[in-house]
Amino acid sequence: MGLLEPLLKISPLTLAAVLVFSPALFGVVVFAVRTKWSRKGVVTVAGWVLTLAAITVFAIAFVSRTALSATLPAQAAPWSMIVAGGDLALLAAILVIAVRFRSAMVLVVALVQLAVVLYAELTGGHAADAAPAVFIDWLSVVMVMIVSVIGSIIVVYGLPYMKEHERHLGIDEAGSHRPGFFLTMLVFLGAMNGLVIFDDLRFVFFFWEVTTLCSFLLIRHDATELANTNALRALWMNTLGGVGFAAAIALFGAHAHTYSVQALLHSPMGAAASLPILAALACLMFAAFTKSAQMPFHSWLLGAMVAPTPVSALLHSSTMVKAGVYLLMRFAPAFHGTQLSNVLAIAGGFTFVATAFLAIGQTNAKKILAYSTISNLGLIIACTGLNRPLALAAAVMLLIFHAISKGLLFMACGVVEHGIHSRDIEDMQGLVNRMPLTTLIMVIGILSMLLPPFGVLIAKLAAIEASVHLPLAMGMLVIGSTLTVAFWTKWTGRLLTSEPGAVHPKIEHLHVMYFVPLVLLTVGAVAFSLAVFPLLTELVEPAVTQYYALVPGAAGGVDLSSDVLAVPWMLVFGFMATAVVVPVLVARTRPDEEVGAYMCGEQIETPNGSGFITAAEQSCALSIRGHYFERYVGEETHGLWMTVVAALLMAAMLGAVALR
Amino acid sequence: MGLIDIARSKSPWILHFDAGACNGCDIELLACLTPVYDVERFGIINIGNPKHADVLLVTGTVNKRSARVLRNLYDQMPEPKAVVAIGACALSGGVFHQCYNILGGVDSVLPVDVYVPGCAPKPEAIIEGVVMALGKMQEREHARKRGAA
Amino acid sequence: MMAEYLAALAAVLVAPFIGGVLMGIDRIVSARLQSRQGPPLFQPFYDILKLFAKRRMAANTFQMISVSVYLASMVLSLALLFMGQDLLVLLFILALGNIMLILGGFSVKSPYSQLGSQREVIVLLAYEPLLVCMVVGTYIMTGSFSAASIFGLERPLALSMPAFVITQALVMAMKLHKSPFDVSASHHAHQELVRGIYTEFSGPQMAVIELAHLYELVLLLGFIALFWHTNLGIGIALALACYGAVIVLDNISARMTTRWMFGFTWSFGLALAAANLAALYATGPLPR
Repeated sequence: MGLLEPLLKISPLTLAAVLVFSPALFGVVVFAVRTKWSRKGVVTVAGWVLTLAAITVFAIAFVSRTALSATLPAQAAPWSMIVAGGDLALLAAILVIAVRFRSAMVLVVALVQLAVVLYAELTGGHAADAAPAVFIDWLSVVMVMIVSVIGSIIVVYGLPYMKEHERHLGIDEAGSHRPGFFLTMLVFLGAMNGLVIFDDLRFVFFFWEVTTLCSFLLIRHDATELANTNALRALWMNTLGGVGFAAAIALFGAHAHTYSVQALLHSPMGAAASLPILAALACLMFAAFTKSAQMPFHSWLLGAMVAPTPVSALLHSSTMVKAGVYLLMRFAPAFHGTQLSNVLAIAGGFTFVATAFLAIGQTNAKKILAYSTISNLGLIIACTGLNRPLALAAAVMLLIFHAISKGLLFMACGVVEHGIHSRDIEDMQGLVNRMPLTTLIMVIGILSMLLPPFGVLIAKLAAIEASVHLPLAMGMLVIGSTLTVAFWTKWTGRLLTSEPGAVHPKIEHLHVMYFVPLVLLTVGAVAFSLAVFPLLTELVEPAVTQYYALVPGAAGGVDLSSDVLAVPWMLVFGFMATAVVVPVLVARTRPDEEVGAYMCGEQIETPNGSGFITAAEQSCALSIRGHYFERYVGEETHGLWMTVVAALLMAAMLGAVALR
Repeated sequence: MGLIDIARSKSPWILHFDAGACNGCDIELLACLTPVYDVERFGIINIGNPKHADVLLVTGTVNKRSARVLRNLYDQMPEPKAVVAIGACALSGGVFHQCYNILGGVDSVLPVDVYVPGCAPKPEAIIEGVVMALGKMQEREHARKRGAA
Repeated sequence: MMAEYLAALAAVLVAPFIGGVLMGIDRIVSARLQSRQGPPLFQPFYDILKLFAKRRMAANTFQMISVSVYLASMVLSLALLFMGQDLLVLLFILALGNIMLILGGFSVKSPYSQLGSQREVIVLLAYEPLLVCMVVGTYIMTGSFSAASIFGLERPLALSMPAFVITQALVMAMKLHKSPFDVSASHHAHQELVRGIYTEFSGPQMAVIELAHLYELVLLLGFIALFWHTNLGIGIALALACYGAVIVLDNISARMTTRWMFGFTWSFGLALAAANLAALYATGPLPR
């Protein structure tokens, strides 16, 4: 431990400053110094700084085995004033946007939020006395790692991507929008870090709103009409969530007389909480649902796919949507044992099933990924609502594995999009022949989302096991998991569809800044799945233990033993790896063994690949499409009633407040 | 006789192709599957897919249109395999052999192992043809092994 | 621990022989129902050996990987069952094998195997919830997902979960591709979409698939036998009775459409499962 001794001396405040402000500073440099090399260099360095800072936080927490906390010096600055000023400045920015884009919706929602924020400021005066603090427990560490490491990888990947993107749009270096783009991306990462390490709800709220504003800027980056519309939708939905958050702050200030999350969690909570406190929790849930794009607010995340791919990767895997579920996981002890918690589980479960169902009918790769993200976040929220140690462990594992796999898949999709100029999975048919390396990475990414022995599935099984005491939620998890299989399998099937004669394709050349991030995350997806047990005992269990220490009557150790985790997973891994490796080594198809598909003996080679001779003696190229069951799973058919049900479930949450 | 030889002789899967028959031979061929003859007693299955088949049964004349298809089907059958020509038309073109569009019997396109004569041949004859074809297929396989060794 | 591994090893070694004989019986019984004599009892073994001895022919290397993982998942599932491991995990390992087979079918640009794979996805969707519900039922009874925990019960599961015996039989019919559920391929050489999902697998690949089927059959029967764990003789008899019923169903019914199959299993099958689960929640021991 001697080596790590100096590390322990680093103040949490210093770390917090690095994690939150260094990305913004680097971003300003990128924005100010507009040369190609400085941009590349500074963004890469910013990524390294963030990664190293996150690893340092991890190392300190790992060695010290306690939560890191420190209080901001109360006399150094008028913190309350600063954060209130920040909130108002952000609202002013949103109002300017509303006027500039003539969006009545944004205007109304922002004005409501302004009213609520002002009310909270005026009524919660004496609660603000305590100095705000940073508080980094295991959950924060996990989040910081996800945000900083995966986020950095994505930003670095964005360098070649945005260059290609602007070349494609015909924008030259002088008129490039990239400096502003990378500034926003980096500020975003800093804000996410701030959101997870600050203990004071007003600070969390400030960073929460920063991410809202950043996501608006990023979604409308291409400034097309569609981008504007979708960005404004994201803005008003998230601002609406902000109203919920501000209302929660007002309620906490007036009735709990504190803004500190830790203080709140240590006060009587759960069934013992008073009605206004439960109402505040319901408001936070509402905020989390908007941010995590849960039904009925899922449309903003679907619309967000108009943004360049690095933005999608960032929004979906490591930032933004993860903020919502983080907030819920953070407050899970507060609603432990309430009806509110059960309704939350069912609302999350509903989104899980409904979006997995809608995903089956999609052919747009990014849309499938978006639905899958919403679905998985629904699962995490369901786990939070189940509110048992095993469910929380599953939630933390899903947070990690989903961030890795989804980041990987979006980045791979971006590479494919630049390769074939389409994001339709029908156009990706036979991609294995055209871009074998990217396809391999993509297939690993997809399989890591749904098959044993990869981590997402292990977590999903643990979630099902934890859900047995709530039959309705269990039914949703079972059916959702089954539906998930359908769209992933069909997509992978398209990718792998190949024609004989092309089975020894040339491996494509990838830009090094594509290759390294993709390989890092691929290796990460496999390695973390292999290391699922160390991960569980070293990372997840401490997080859950710290969480459960707060629940009355459950203090002490938590029991994470479950049958799912007792399976000899290494045996499973070994067996499956052997089953893949052996045929590759001993049974590779030789060219002389290759034979085309059976087509009743009428097969021929056409200039467009294999084909057949028709009854009219015409040669005809074979074209095959996947089946998407549009008639049965279409968005048009089911979108409306699903949204209504989800809205009713949101209303049920308010009802559950009254029921305790 | 090794285990593999036994298995091969007890599990001939059939692909039936009508290259241009009057359907007389086809009816006789399909009669083999019926309860009266029940060729599944010998493990024979009408599999309908060249990639799974061991024995190709061809009925009818080979004409300009069907020759390509016949060749393609044969090429998609994995070795070891055998070909049986069934009925007069498949043997030589039969009554059609001087017709403008006829190439002749099956052997104008493929190497034929067994010729089952008749117009149409009886099911018993067809079954015997398959058995003989299996014998020739085995012989060929043994010769290949010896040649390789 | 050692004993469990040995039991699993023994099961893995013996299962193909039991499965093969049972498949042979299936073919004889089916033939008799059609007034035929049918093949020898050991016909499945002849078929598999012959297929193994055929020379390789393939469209791509992935086909071999897919059948290899398919077989591995069946073997592993059987081993996990005999080790008394988690049934939920077992189901998803089973699904892994099926998904890989589906991908193998998708990997060739062939109209028949593609359509077969598409339909097999629906078949998978149709039976998966039934299987998971069955496992959840055992959880309610035992408070654990492990197969071993079932042996701690005093009463056979079949008495408390009778509906799941029926759903398991349905699942068996679907997984074995029996009529009326043989939409993606047919168990015997009945031709639907040529050979459906199996169309492009030939020779040794097909042999591996057939071998995996033997394991799958034993596994499915093993599931049902667990329903009468207090006397495994009765359990096995129950399993064989279900198997017999499936064979008869295969011979007396016609192939139905994919849509019908999906609708039937998600309405009739899931209703049965839900009713039984509701009864278990109401009367069974509470989950821990």
